[in-house]
Amino acid sequence: MHTSLFITCYNDTLYPETGRAVVCLLERLGVEVQFQPKQTCCGQMHANTGFRGEAFSQAKRFVRLYQDADTVVIPSSSCVAMMRDQYPGLIEELGNDELRKQYEALMPRVFELSEFLIDKLGVEDVGAYFPHRVAYHASCHGVRALHLGERPYRLLAKVRGLEVAPLANVDRCCGFGGTFSVKNAEVSSAMLAVKLQDVIATGAEYCTALDNSCLMHLGGAMHRQYAGMKTIHLAQILASTEEAPAEVTL
Amino acid sequence: MSLSAASHAELDPRLAAPFPKAVLPVLRNPQLRKNVAHAIDVIQAKRGKLVAEKRDWQELRTAASAIRAHALENLGAYLEQFEERCTAAGGTVHWAADAEEARKIILDLLRQQQATEVIKIKTMTSAEIQLNPCLQAAGVDVFETDLAEIILQLGDLEPSHIVVPALHVNRSQVREIFARRMGLKNLSDDPKELTNAARAFLRQKFLSIPTAISGANFLIAETGSVAVVESEGNGRMCLTLPRTMITLAGIEKVLPRFQDMEVMLQLLARSATGERMNPYTSLWTGVTEGDGPQSFHVVLLDNGRSSILGKEKQRQTLKCIRCAACMNTCPVYRQTGGHAYGSVYPGPIGAILTPQLMQMKHAQSLPFASSLCGACYEVCPVKINIPEVLLELRSQVVDQERKQAGRIFDPMYLGLRIANLIFAGAWRFHAAQWFGRMGLKLWTRKDGWIHSLPGVGGKWTQTRDLRGLPDQTFHQWWAKRAAQSRQEGK
Amino acid sequence: MSATAPSRQLILDRISAATQDAAKDAAGRAAAYAALPRGYARRGLLNKEERVELMIERLREYDAEVVESLPTELPAAIEARLATSGRRKFVVPTGVPAEWGAFGFDWKLDHGLITAEVEQAEGVVTAATCGIADSGTIVLHHTAAEGRRILTLLPDWHLCILLASQVVETLPEYFDRCKQPPALVTWISGPSATADIEMTRIKGVHGPRFLHVILVRDESSAETYRSAAHTELRPEKSGSARIR
Repeated sequence: MHTSLFITCYNDTLYPETGRAVVCLLERLGVEVQFQPKQTCCGQMHANTGFRGEAFSQAKRFVRLYQDADTVVIPSSSCVAMMRDQYPGLIEELGNDELRKQYEALMPRVFELSEFLIDKLGVEDVGAYFPHRVAYHASCHGVRALHLGERPYRLLAKVRGLEVAPLANVDRCCGFGGTFSVKNAEVSSAMLAVKLQDVIATGAEYCTALDNSCLMHLGGAMHRQYAGMKTIHLAQILASTEEAPAEVTL
Repeated sequence: MSLSAASHAELDPRLAAPFPKAVLPVLRNPQLRKNVAHAIDVIQAKRGKLVAEKRDWQELRTAASAIRAHALENLGAYLEQFEERCTAAGGTVHWAADAEEARKIILDLLRQQQATEVIKIKTMTSAEIQLNPCLQAAGVDVFETDLAEIILQLGDLEPSHIVVPALHVNRSQVREIFARRMGLKNLSDDPKELTNAARAFLRQKFLSIPTAISGANFLIAETGSVAVVESEGNGRMCLTLPRTMITLAGIEKVLPRFQDMEVMLQLLARSATGERMNPYTSLWTGVTEGDGPQSFHVVLLDNGRSSILGKEKQRQTLKCIRCAACMNTCPVYRQTGGHAYGSVYPGPIGAILTPQLMQMKHAQSLPFASSLCGACYEVCPVKINIPEVLLELRSQVVDQERKQAGRIFDPMYLGLRIANLIFAGAWRFHAAQWFGRMGLKLWTRKDGWIHSLPGVGGKWTQTRDLRGLPDQTFHQWWAKRAAQSRQEGK
Repeated sequence: MSATAPSRQLILDRISAATQDAAKDAAGRAAAYAALPRGYARRGLLNKEERVELMIERLREYDAEVVESLPTELPAAIEARLATSGRRKFVVPTGVPAEWGAFGFDWKLDHGLITAEVEQAEGVVTAATCGIADSGTIVLHHTAAEGRRILTLLPDWHLCILLASQVVETLPEYFDRCKQPPALVTWISGPSATADIEMTRIKGVHGPRFLHVILVRDESSAETYRSAAHTELRPEKSGSARIR
């Protein structure tokens, strides 16, 4: 089986270890990973901040770049949500019939990471070992846009040594919201403070999620406050084994 | 005598501070935040239980959304039908193109009655048109009769929620207001005693004031009826006892048939107050001889609604049945309460309705007052896709900004325009990554983290650290690994 | 109305321009309306006994006091309720059966009573049109046996006689029973309440603070007391005496 990894602009720049973990994990599961060097960004940041005009070219770019891929795997639920929820409107506005057909043919082959593992590969136990207490933060796009449901929990349940610490108000937004975190920094921080209370209260060593965007926000506050907890992307937990434990640089 | 209303700057979208500024005093007010969180937690818990037990909840939402969309699609015909039936039943229907005209119509009706006092049932629509200050200025005493509205009126405060407007006020604050304004020295802060004080205070008003003003939850086209949904009974008092009844209603409040209430009533109370049914719902049709007001007027209000109607993605805003479930679930509203939105319509629905009613000339910060978490859409009983409308309005605000000369000084605007150029080509992206990493090294401390940044970046580092950019991007790692394995392959 | 005629046309023109997707005529509109999705439950799942028990349970959840009675025992049940109420002065709709009342109390039939007289009453006794078990809702259409709206609003104590045959489980079932839409409806789901002060639910703001219900176990559809669901669109003038 082949898959093409869309790393996302912010993972490429800020969290390359997540990408490395995805590659390591998928190769361990016998999947051949390809990487399109021309990839840049899905356009979410622009579309969500009102710069719709700028998002058109990024949507076109993605569809064209991956039209021949067997499957595409993306370690970011917000980027997948962008493609499923907003690309149709953008593409319709462009009025390009060929592009629309390419998009419609491509989308069923595009997966968020946990979807790829559970739905496409049909695996829950990926042979991971991560002997720590971990709280799972359910990011909004994953819950409400992608309806990931139980998938991340099923994956976590099979990680040897890992103890899942239930998180109160698990569905409540952490306050990142993309450019919201800067345009409305104070409210974002208030929401973060409230979320962090719930996360810290779990007594976990790590907070994990399927989106590094939320983790950058949560982890940034944890670091500022010497909170005694770290963040780590779920891919890195799943890639972790006894022989090669997860890279945790925080 | 001027008919222009004195503005309450705090909730006047034309004058209110933009959201990021307006939230600051609220965020620093622990009492207010606690009051808001407590109130919405109570409603949310009750709502959650009732929704879980309702096996056809999603089907009801689907039906309600479809009924409201159909009513809006055929709004002209249904309004005309409502007018005809209401008139045949003895009511009089007036049409107000905007807030000023609505105020004028109501004031004229009051003058015809020579009314010097009116009793009112809570209606956000009257707050939208700033009716009370206008009536007061014209020498008409206005007596709000909802407990929350009396608290606000006597305390000279502003509403912060559309269903529980005084949720930001706690019991000792209410005690203080009542003791002072009702002259009750020995009043305790027990909610039961406070409520009894309000009951006694209002009883005389209900029995003596011959003119009442209400809003409407629903206008029934088929019969020309009006429905009012309430908990306290003050609505029933106002719509039964006076001689003259004036109902102010947005044109979007129409339902095609009486039977459509079977869907709306199942959704509304559960969404708004977490009850299977609110204590009192009243429906009346025109004038009934011997029972209730003998003079009945409906003022249909446009005030920007017809322009929202014509916009494809935005029309759904008008499906709203004012249940406030969206603000009860909103994680932003939870921290800010209603006043920060600078409008009588706060929360998620306010963030989309207010700027649209203002023809996108004011309240432009509101569409950005959201992290786009989608919780509102999930709970909306009429399935308004609020995030979708927020995004649409954001792009309209930005399109306005594109035409302004000052945009080149806005770091966010510049940053996003530049980012788009960067994402257009992989080599540009990679170059930008390199420059970014080099530039940020200036602020990266020995522990590998950035603790403060200038300008826009400083908004991040106010409360969060940022890990310094890694020396190697993912794509660089990939390319290196690919080169290595090619070498090893030789 | 003519004073706002220009605005009326202006608004309707704006709406027309904004709704190019409107149905072209009444038939088209009716067809679109008929095609709207209605996948929600119309009928309940409970049998008659369970339905009545649910109605009683939900009424009691709202702190309404409920007793049951057989049709033949109804007058005695009413007398007992009135006696234990501690009240003496009652107002009564003119259409209420004579057997339901007086019993030596101050019993005023609403033959054009003025507001002050209603205000001085300590309680009111009425029939009802329907009971909706799911929400414990009592529905009044303000027929002659239910009275003008002021009667169930000003007095502090309301005794409502509800027949088991009037009880349905779901709200759609109530609407199905309405042969045509009534002109006046009051849906009562417990005594008035507010939660405006710190979300503490306080019973009884305006309107009767005490709601009592006698649930009459009438088994047959040949009712002893005519169900108000059969009344016409416009209720009778309250001035005329009627036994219905």
